[in-house]
Amino acid sequence: MLREITLGQYYQTQSVLHKMDSRVKLVATLVYIVSLFVVNNFWGYLLAAAFLALCIILSHVPFRFMIKGMKSILFLMLFAVVLNLFLTPGEPVIRIWKLKITDAGILLAAKMAIRLTLLIIGSSLMTLTTTPNHLTDGLESLLSPLKRLKVPVHEVAMMMSIALRFIPILLEETDKIMKAQIARGADFDSGNLLQKAKAMVPLLVPLFIAAFRRANDLAMAMEARCYRGGEGRTKMKPLIYRRRDYIAYGVVFVYLAASIVIGRLLPI
Amino acid sequence: MALKLEHVSYVYGADTELAVRALDDICLEIPEGQFIGLIGHTGSGKSTLVQHLNGLIEPTEGTITYCGRNIWEKDFPKKELRSQVGLVFQYPEHQLFEVDVFSDVCFGPKNLGLPKEEIQERAKRALELVGIPEEYYKQSPFELSGGQKRRVAIAGVLAMQPKILVLDEPTAGLDPRGRDEILSQVAHLKKETGISVVLVSHSMEDVANYVERIVVMNQGRILYDDTPSAVFGHVKELEEVGLAAPQVTYILHRLKENGFDVDVKATTIDEARDTILKAMREEREC
Repeated sequence: MLREITLGQYYQTQSVLHKMDSRVKLVATLVYIVSLFVVNNFWGYLLAAAFLALCIILSHVPFRFMIKGMKSILFLMLFAVVLNLFLTPGEPVIRIWKLKITDAGILLAAKMAIRLTLLIIGSSLMTLTTTPNHLTDGLESLLSPLKRLKVPVHEVAMMMSIALRFIPILLEETDKIMKAQIARGADFDSGNLLQKAKAMVPLLVPLFIAAFRRANDLAMAMEARCYRGGEGRTKMKPLIYRRRDYIAYGVVFVYLAASIVIGRLLPI
Repeated sequence: MALKLEHVSYVYGADTELAVRALDDICLEIPEGQFIGLIGHTGSGKSTLVQHLNGLIEPTEGTITYCGRNIWEKDFPKKELRSQVGLVFQYPEHQLFEVDVFSDVCFGPKNLGLPKEEIQERAKRALELVGIPEEYYKQSPFELSGGQKRRVAIAGVLAMQPKILVLDEPTAGLDPRGRDEILSQVAHLKKETGISVVLVSHSMEDVANYVERIVVMNQGRILYDDTPSAVFGHVKELEEVGLAAPQVTYILHRLKENGFDVDVKATTIDEARDTILKAMREEREC
């Protein structure tokens, strides 16, 4: 029943994007998000959409997987669009009672919708093509200059990868406990808000206990293998830039330059 | 009052590339008052099957009827079914949540909307059946030993007074002593209450001593459904699917090969002892 959640899901294929260094993908995603906010006209969005489409084709990930992730943030998007639609000052086009929709509002709402859509598909493309472990490895490597400022980069990256690793495990656990309590006659669906909240107790208590138990086991297992943080730790698969990674960096920055030129300088 | 599965199939992730056929054309009937062992090695579909028995998952194909009614009919009372078919999951102690043992056992009957006296009555009886003495009633369930926790969790299902009790690997993770305790407790309970018990396990040794019928599963299908002695007759086939007959069966087969006139159909240790003693006596008389 909880299998539909696709947060940070990885989709296995053998594409160029999957083989690419995770640092490149992180930087590229960041650059892409920046480009979406730099761009100010529809030509720029067109370029951004085209660039994303190219990446999706290169990734060999089925398009419906990208759309799946969109469903969860549909509400947020609708919220942003509606707010922009009604609250932007300008020349009124339609009036409904006290609310008015302005021409500037329509333009802003449309831009907002495009921006959010591209942003979410773009960042989910990264998680779909990168395993959580590679992602945190890349993050750790990119943030390593912060070590000089005494930021515990390795520890943060380790916590992140553990947290990501535990999401599916805890989901499975939730599913199991839920079923066990339903078998004892528990009812999670009916009743008012208060009753529903109360019905969660038989689910949450065992879930927390399970989470602590697993955390404890993991800590023990890590200690048994002499884990003592990032100092002097080597990697089984160290991140090394290859030729395709440099090419990818080039493509990404050419894209950024192009989107600044097109998105800023052309009218509309 | 029988639970009946007809041509039941179940597919995980039906419309993805990762679709797995966990159950394939299962036909099974669980009559009243029978002690059944459900056996298969890991991944054979046992756990998926038992979740069908009380309507936790809907079969992809096929029908399940209880007392002649399809349980997936629109207004079938699911809650009642779940009280009639009590399902104890693997590691049931992980579902304990209340402040003390007694209230945790009360959770099931409370959900059935019974009056307070009856709830307490049932909880008490269930705890007695699994052999948890009264001084533990007010203790936190998390302070008990592993075996005790498990018995409390089983009591939590028993308190709903099911007609069919399904136990999914009730001995997993217990030491030999805890395992024997739980199994003999279940056998005692079966005798005491006369309900049907379905004991899921991957170990023949576990079930051989107790059950009157064995269902062997392999790759989502039922391989054998017969009395223990008939099932253990297929030693070779059982080994091929990653299972083994109980040790006594092997000993008896070896003795027979070496010219002793023993009855290879014996499945429990007691029966085996008797037939071996008999054979030895005959040997001496010759």
